[in-house]
Amino acid sequence: MRPRRGLNNLLISWKASGGFKQTVVEILERGRRNGMVVVGFSIIATMIALALLAPILPMADPTPAQGDVDEPLLPPSTRHWFGTDNLGQDVFSRVIWGTRVSLAVASMAICFSLIIGVVLGLTAGYFGGAVDYIIAGTIDLFWTFPAFLLALAFAAALGASLLNVILAISISYWAGFGRLMRGQALSVRERQFIEASRALGAKHSRIMFTHVMPNCLAPLIVWASIGVADAITIESSLSFLGAGTPITTPSWGKMLSLGMPFITEAPWVTTFPGIVLLITILGFNLLGDGLRDVLDPRMKGMRR
Amino acid sequence: MADLISYVIRKLLLAIPVIFLATFIVFLMLYLTPGDPALALVPPRHTPQDVEDVREEYGFNDPIYVQYASFLWRLLHGDLGSSVSAATTGLPVSTMIMQRLPKTLELMAIGLTISYSMGIPLGIYSALRQNSLGDRSIMVFTLITYAMPSFWLGILLMLLFAVYLQWLPISGTIGGLSSIILPAMTLGLGNAALTTRMMRSSMLEVARQDYVTQLRSRGLPEREVIYKHALKNAMLPVITVIGLDIGWFVGGAVVVETVFSWPGIGMLIVDSITKDDFPMVQGCIMVLAVFVILGNLAADILYAFVDPRVRLG
Repeated sequence: MRPRRGLNNLLISWKASGGFKQTVVEILERGRRNGMVVVGFSIIATMIALALLAPILPMADPTPAQGDVDEPLLPPSTRHWFGTDNLGQDVFSRVIWGTRVSLAVASMAICFSLIIGVVLGLTAGYFGGAVDYIIAGTIDLFWTFPAFLLALAFAAALGASLLNVILAISISYWAGFGRLMRGQALSVRERQFIEASRALGAKHSRIMFTHVMPNCLAPLIVWASIGVADAITIESSLSFLGAGTPITTPSWGKMLSLGMPFITEAPWVTTFPGIVLLITILGFNLLGDGLRDVLDPRMKGMRR
Repeated sequence: MADLISYVIRKLLLAIPVIFLATFIVFLMLYLTPGDPALALVPPRHTPQDVEDVREEYGFNDPIYVQYASFLWRLLHGDLGSSVSAATTGLPVSTMIMQRLPKTLELMAIGLTISYSMGIPLGIYSALRQNSLGDRSIMVFTLITYAMPSFWLGILLMLLFAVYLQWLPISGTIGGLSSIILPAMTLGLGNAALTTRMMRSSMLEVARQDYVTQLRSRGLPEREVIYKHALKNAMLPVITVIGLDIGWFVGGAVVVETVFSWPGIGMLIVDSITKDDFPMVQGCIMVLAVFVILGNLAADILYAFVDPRVRLG
């Protein structure tokens, strides 16, 4: 078991290193003893694997050419596990390809939100004063504005494309991370080790990103996980309403809206994408809730 | 009382920049559309002269701050522009929104009622019987309903109650009062999950506090300890999030109205997006945003009434 021991040694050395790496080891150690984290993580890992493997899995083409489609609204069978939709496209293959769209859009959107939120929140909380006044005001404005409405407004104005959906979600979602980061930075900056590094002549940017930020990592990870679940919900809702992904892209929300006229004669067209959507969102929520419980019991019940 | 009044004034003043942000976002929407903004404001069948007229009317040749000022000016006069979709060309956006608004308010009011009348008792029950079978089933139920996107929940409820059981009308408003049940339930259930979890964790926390132990040690009946003393404090976090709930409900209403063809503002937005009726989309977003901001404000003020501590903050 040589590689295994190597990994353990690496983790032990990380554990002693403090900061970012230590947090990672702590999450791994405590997380694997928490049921919610394990279940959530397994669901997410499966979905990511399916998303990555979609091009090489032996499946029907999700967007077949006009001549290649099968009969419309076929019930589930060995040939079409989830049946076919009203255009004769294979629902199973579209659900799997939809995983790619949902996960990619949601994780990109949360990445952008994290970057905007962390940079602005950190700057506001660390510097305080007039800088804080302006940035915290902006954060509060965006926080009060209903996220879904904001995303819908931007998506409707920008037009249907994957990048526009990502932008729309990021613009409406970053404020939560900004608030979180600002609050953490405000409390961390008063601690003695920050004063010590300032006395040693460290630059502001160095203190902010190497000392203040790693101390805020745990809540950020928790909220990022819950954020991905929210972003998947927003993306699928936008697509359901016809303001999200372009018409040809296989996306769960779009599949549900296109299948709705046929719910009586072909319930499988909406049921399968719905179940997969629910499981994916559940996975990220479980991971977030579980991590919150193991990392910081004080945050219990502080959802939203 | 003086502190309450100053708190309310402070909150009112804080709402002003948020309303400005809302107007600015709605104003900006027009410039984010790909291509010429004037083209987004003319009906599908137009002459070059129409485009020129719109450009002149909205002052697209002026500097942007002048345009924003005149946008605000029109807004102050209740002018949200006029519809450009084929069926309703020329009708004022504000009239159409006012026709739809009561339907959305009705839906949200019943949805909110369902959400709190379900969530609060379930949360209290869960907390009082922590880790029992009942508590666990409630927690699993909330986990699932929270993760379930409202449009799919709506489709499932529709399948069950309207298609298979045929107890309730499938969509629209033909069924009179019974037709609001399904959309309101869809809207309420997702939020009920959140309220339940919030209520449960807050009740658990309050029940652990010293004053509760002290009341128990004085021999007060458990019922009195919980409902007369603990519940009051445990309700506070639930009341705090009413404001956030309103924002959530507006987003949810857009989706739910579309699923059930409920003729409120939400459906109007979605219809207008598909019909490229840009002034209508702008108008709806503006009205809903102002509604949410005022709702938040009302919730903040309500909170100051029930918890005197926040007035000082």
